Amino acid sequence: MPLNDAQIARARAITKKPEVVERQRLPVRYHVEDLEVRDRPRRFLEAFAAILKHTNYGLALDHYVRVSAKCARCSTHCQVYLASGDPEDIPCHRSELLLSVYRRHFTVSGILRGRLLGDPGLTDEQIQQMADSFYNCTACRRCSLECPMGLDHGLITHLGRYILSEIGIAPRALVVSTREQLLGASGNTSAIPIAALLDNLEFMSEEIASIKNVEVRFPVDVEGAEYLFFAPVSDYLMEADTLMGIGALFHATGDSWTIGTGYFDAINYGLFYNDQILEHVLHKIRREAERLKTRKILIGECGHASRSAKYFYPAYCGGPDALPVLNILEYAHDAWKAGRLKLRNDIVTETVTYHDPCNIARPGWIVDQPRELLKAFCPNFVEMTPNGRENICCGGGGGTVSIDEIRPFRTSIAGVVKAEQIRATGAKYCVAPCANCKKQLRELMQDQQVDCEVVGLHDLLFKALDLEGR
Amino acid sequence: MEAWIEFGRGPLFRLSFALMVLGLARILMLTLVGVAEALGRAADRRVACKEVLGKTLVWLFPIRRLWTKRPFYGTLSFLFHLGLLVTPLFLAAHILLVRDAIGLSWPALPRPAANWLTILTAAAALALFVGRAAHAGSRALSRLQDYVWPPLLAVPFLTGYFCANLALPPAAYQWSMFLHIYAGCLIMVLIPFTKIAHCVLLPLSQLVTTVSWKFAQGAGDRVAATLGWEDRPTWVPNARLNAPPERRPMVRKREVTTL
Repeated sequence: MPLNDAQIARARAITKKPEVVERQRLPVRYHVEDLEVRDRPRRFLEAFAAILKHTNYGLALDHYVRVSAKCARCSTHCQVYLASGDPEDIPCHRSELLLSVYRRHFTVSGILRGRLLGDPGLTDEQIQQMADSFYNCTACRRCSLECPMGLDHGLITHLGRYILSEIGIAPRALVVSTREQLLGASGNTSAIPIAALLDNLEFMSEEIASIKNVEVRFPVDVEGAEYLFFAPVSDYLMEADTLMGIGALFHATGDSWTIGTGYFDAINYGLFYNDQILEHVLHKIRREAERLKTRKILIGECGHASRSAKYFYPAYCGGPDALPVLNILEYAHDAWKAGRLKLRNDIVTETVTYHDPCNIARPGWIVDQPRELLKAFCPNFVEMTPNGRENICCGGGGGTVSIDEIRPFRTSIAGVVKAEQIRATGAKYCVAPCANCKKQLRELMQDQQVDCEVVGLHDLLFKALDLEGR
Repeated sequence: MEAWIEFGRGPLFRLSFALMVLGLARILMLTLVGVAEALGRAADRRVACKEVLGKTLVWLFPIRRLWTKRPFYGTLSFLFHLGLLVTPLFLAAHILLVRDAIGLSWPALPRPAANWLTILTAAAALALFVGRAAHAGSRALSRLQDYVWPPLLAVPFLTGYFCANLALPPAAYQWSMFLHIYAGCLIMVLIPFTKIAHCVLLPLSQLVTTVSWKFAQGAGDRVAATLGWEDRPTWVPNARLNAPPERRPMVRKREVTTL
């Protein structure tokens, strides 16, 4: 039976309190363009059941519904809640949206109770609430460090978004990019044609030559190279300095590396909303690595891309036998540690601070390496507090930075705590080795009027690297 | 009343205790089986054991962690848990009951220590109740059971203290003992079915989370195939063709039913 206008309007209604909507200035929805609102509860439950059948999420859900103690400790650690003050932004509250659906529809006690009490179950309003809530979370997983019961609210956000995407609710910005990456002619999220990529590499070589007076090549399609390099593809459009730093780094070390023209994009928005996409994007990396017979996969300055590849490439592409995945910061740090880089510490004399991208710092994977490296050539390095594994998210995590419509939310709520943290350091440069963090932090610095320039680590490394004699 | 107390101390206690132990054993087993199933599905089965163990120990003994945020609530919660675990297990009167029943015994707490611990636990329970009700964030999250548990747990502590320390008239003593025993039995029955199940599940939380992030190869394609292609947003072409055969879990997963 077709829905009437009132039902459709209700399905699309913003469920948050008016004052929060007002503060977020979030008048537009950010779902896919053809938002199908018919029969959503049934479709949501079918998608949920299919996902439970084929994946491992049921284990966490079973456990979390049993142990969740609702102590509200996570509320003290969520930068979104700290700024918004809206109880709906408390991580445990967000997770409960999905846990209550699981309890009601997928546990014996919930089904029995539902029948006895005549509870009709999942409603359209609940779905709308989840759609709002899961994209208010930046999936930074800071709350997971503080949950005494060991709940990972980031996992629940991840799953919630996955289910929603299966019924057609996902941010348009992410869907458009992914569609181009998997189905489009260019095969990457920024739709960069190969000719443009080659032009870009040529241009960067010329730039390096004019600045450093050395010839640095960006090798393309070299079979059997040690490292196959994937940058977040937007870097080719917006972060030439970072890429020039990486080119110069390889020039200094002399290791064999290559960029593949078959596929050169590290971005994997599947991590933010759909596991099927996460896997298919990683298979594109695998196919390119097989084509070029490389031995290691190297991801550029990008947090989510690094985490997707490091933690999910083995899951989807060969288990323990999968090719090793490295982040460029690890590579640069190893090279410096082995004495292969000549760094001058009299070039970058301004105050420098370091922002930990959540995706690489939260698991404790990349925390000390960039700091040791920066301290080697930045005499005025200062830390933010807290930092490292306990860092505060830039406010644009979980794919939200790609959604331009919600910039007011990102810079006036989600990123406020970060802005003050950076302001307190008084640093001239904030190093953020992640494409998403860089975009968010630049917008944040602008909107919150913080006088700090956001750069990549290799932007500064490029300045300090002494290439003479190579 | 005497007969009710005897019934509570005898058959009802044994039944409640058995339900608690069996209930907790069941969910513990289900969780372990779930972990095995999940690892069976995953291609990458490496688990960072040291990391998991470290995080588990941090929250089993949260001595350094609790004071960082909401220190008052954290301290109370810690003392409350300490009292809950230590007092009933090391109370001389309880140990005597166990010795009479099955012949086992262990050292008991000195009387004054047991008394102080009892009062502290009951007071902490009530303070936790107030803390929950007074904190806006907690209030927004709390369900009925979250409010009921602290006062319910305080009942056997308070009544036990009255029986042991006050010169009560016989009727009052009997009522107090009745409440003490029946509240204790109710608590034992409820434990496996409510959030207090964390008393056995907490040591597995970090492992469960870590293993849940171990994704199964081809799972996304199989989800898509299960949902069909007609009314699903298709972002991946011919995904079904790419799906590798499902890895068989070590234990067969029960079918999920909806509604």
